[in-house]
Amino acid sequence: MSKDFAGFEVRMAEGQEQARELVEKLFSVAEPGAVFGEPVQVGEHTVITASEVTVGMGFGSGGGFGDAPASQGDEEDGPADQAAHGGGYGSGGGGGAGGRPVAAIIAGPDGVRVEPIVDVTKLGLAALTALGGMFLALNRMRKASRG
Amino acid sequence: MPTLSEMIQFETHWGEPVMAGDAEIVPQSQALTVRWPWGGYVWHRPVGVVVRRGGEEQRLPIVDVTRVAQAALLAFGAMFTLMVLILSFQKKASAR
Repeated sequence: MSKDFAGFEVRMAEGQEQARELVEKLFSVAEPGAVFGEPVQVGEHTVITASEVTVGMGFGSGGGFGDAPASQGDEEDGPADQAAHGGGYGSGGGGGAGGRPVAAIIAGPDGVRVEPIVDVTKLGLAALTALGGMFLALNRMRKASRG
Repeated sequence: MPTLSEMIQFETHWGEPVMAGDAEIVPQSQALTVRWPWGGYVWHRPVGVVVRRGGEEQRLPIVDVTRVAQAALLAFGAMFTLMVLILSFQKKASAR
């Protein structure tokens, strides 16, 4: 039992170490190259895209082992006694990432300019959310004036 | 135990200069990095470019028009909703 637990502990430690390495790779998004794309030549113009990037990640583990108070924990114990020695462990993790183009930097013979990229879908959703809130509030006011 | 400044960092980064014709473009970005013992979060956005041409230097800001418009729409909706709710509460109070 103690050998099995030691092996289990080693595997858990290796897993946690791998998770830590994965989290460290997440911070490579903070490098400048992550938001600016490679320059693309289009005729006389050079275009560089600029994006906003967000990444989040987390993991956790927990556990507990122990001997039941009445058990001695020897090899002579039957299966029922060995099962009373305790147990339990768990681990989990998750993450998310997103990127959105913000602007395009265009360099040409006439100079360098920054062209913003507008996400119409996001604006539409924001407008709908605002309109929905306004409609609910007006409805409530109408009910209040009737009552 | 890491300190707050080690856990939360807000830094400005300068990227590799890019040559476009006779202009040298240096990108600039800002990154918010949050580290906790079992994970982390990074928010990285472009903020501007510095253009060097003919001995002159010019900084062009990058404005996130989508984010600004989104915030304006949501703020307008929230303000309107709040005003209507306040008016309805006042009406209720005066009716009593």
